[in-house]
Amino acid sequence: MNTLLRIVDRLDRASGRLIAAARWLALPLAMLLFLQWPLRDLVHAYSRQANDLAQCLFALYVSMSVTDATRRGSHLAPRPLASRWAQRWHKALHAAGLLLALLPWSAFVLVSSGAQVWQSLLQREAFPESFNPGYFVVKLSLWLLAGAVFVQALIDLARLCRRGE
Amino acid sequence: MPQFGLALLGVVAVIVTLTGQPIFVVLIFASALGAVVGVISGSVPVALLGALPARMIGLLEHDLLQAVPLFVLVGALLDRLPLAELLYRCGCRLGPRGAAAPRVSAVGLSALLAPMNGSVGASVAMLSRVVAPRLRERGAGTAETTALITVASTLGVLVPPSIVLLLLGDAMMRAHTEALSMSGGNARILNTQDLLHGVLPPAALILLIVGCIAAWQARHAADSHEPAAPLTRRDIALALLTVAILVALLGGVALGLFYAVEAAATGGVLLLAGASVSGQLSAAGLKAALHDALDVTGSLFALFVAATTFTLVLRVLGTDRWVQALFAHLPGGAGAAVATALVVLLLCALVLDAFEMIFVVVPILMPPVLARVDDALWVAVLSLLALQLSVALPPLGYAVMMSSARIKPHPAMRALLRALAPYLLALAGVLALVLAQPWLVHVLDRASATAAALSPEEVERLMRAAPRGAQP
Repeated sequence: MNTLLRIVDRLDRASGRLIAAARWLALPLAMLLFLQWPLRDLVHAYSRQANDLAQCLFALYVSMSVTDATRRGSHLAPRPLASRWAQRWHKALHAAGLLLALLPWSAFVLVSSGAQVWQSLLQREAFPESFNPGYFVVKLSLWLLAGAVFVQALIDLARLCRRGE
Repeated sequence: MPQFGLALLGVVAVIVTLTGQPIFVVLIFASALGAVVGVISGSVPVALLGALPARMIGLLEHDLLQAVPLFVLVGALLDRLPLAELLYRCGCRLGPRGAAAPRVSAVGLSALLAPMNGSVGASVAMLSRVVAPRLRERGAGTAETTALITVASTLGVLVPPSIVLLLLGDAMMRAHTEALSMSGGNARILNTQDLLHGVLPPAALILLIVGCIAAWQARHAADSHEPAAPLTRRDIALALLTVAILVALLGGVALGLFYAVEAAATGGVLLLAGASVSGQLSAAGLKAALHDALDVTGSLFALFVAATTFTLVLRVLGTDRWVQALFAHLPGGAGAAVATALVVLLLCALVLDAFEMIFVVVPILMPPVLARVDDALWVAVLSLLALQLSVALPPLGYAVMMSSARIKPHPAMRALLRALAPYLLALAGVLALVLAQPWLVHVLDRASATAAALSPEEVERLMRAAPRGAQP
């Protein structure tokens, strides 16, 4: 049991580090999309490259953001009625949400997208319109998104079990 | 099975209201339930559910959605910089002295900054920090303050380039395309730019009325506040420069000179550069703003992802075709179809927020309505006005929930309802006016129709410049 908890703690720390790094992606994303306009209308070159690179950064940023919101508990939830409930009900509902929604959903996305993402990765798929390299990063981001949700759900479930002991 | 899809929406409403679980988790649970029941009953082939990854990749490569983290970043930076505070102080000093000035300035500040903030949540955060304490100092009650901030934060929904406006424009464009293929019509497909123009006249009317109500509510309030510190020339110059940049960015988007995503990126880069040069944003402040931006972006994209999953399940269950058939046989003509759709939108708004409505309800509801109504722009503007009203509707409207949670002491629901009533009546009144007078959304159409037509070279340049999926 202790080994399992150590693994959970390590996963948690790794996930936290990855998310902390992902927040900085907002800066190059803003810069690239800002440059798009002068590149297109003044320089008349490289605007598609800027757009495609921004697309990759955007996909990576979004893939980490969902789990960040989960870790900080900032998902939108109306609480007027639920705030009256006992804490153990909240825990039970949280566990039910993990087991009946997030774990099966993220597992389904990982499995059903597997072949498509793997193929894209092997071929280093390029953007279909501009032929710039890097489109596989967008598809890989789907795996990152679903994988991060799956791992976070496991971490949360393990924590709930530990508290329930 | 199609009716089961509709029942799932009810399941979402009940679970969300009773349990307080995150809406995205409940939507995913309802999707899983629908998929399992559909597959077990044999009415849904498993292969159809395999479309989910492609739909999710569509979200990750959506040009328009790139604007979301940028707007959120701008909102997070504005929340940490003294810019909003400076603009508010200038607004209070520019207007006539008295209790009305801080209230009307709050409305003006929101109209100016909310579109750049992009989301209702970011506007509530900014107004709660900058405006609420000053209104309370000037004798406004908690309920009145909460009501004003609730309504002011919804103004960004109508003023381009807000996220709600852009996403609804995109959803309506898809719905219109689907409607034309259903009806076999060949009208020009509605785009986001049409919606930006169509919504401006009603938005101006709402801004005027909300400002008047805010001033009227101040008639009995005593302005007991001590005179504020005088504004320096530097303050005034900075405020004027900020207003000029904001007007240029918002105007540029409204006129189609550049894309919303570029305006948001420009706003973000200018704010970062300004804050770095002036030393007003520390490294810790920047880190915190970036973390907040990632956090809010995550909560929004969780909704998009869940709603994308849910609509796929509704489609494989055949709910969309069932709703289409229902609307096709609705008695009373096009007007009845639009009125019914608005009632459905407002009812859904009691449990769903604007983003879920755009991603879950609009794709199912709007194609059959647009197949019966010729004026797609009118329907789109009415939907936007209904969405604005919905986020301000207590007790579950997003803006009401956010501002009630942020402003302390929390107002009693009855007092809040009383304070909100005139604003809600005004919003409903403008909605009814646009419903009765469709020409109101075409005022700027007429103006642009009289302008000179584009040359073939200009048309070609615009076509070449348009990025994937975005409407200039």
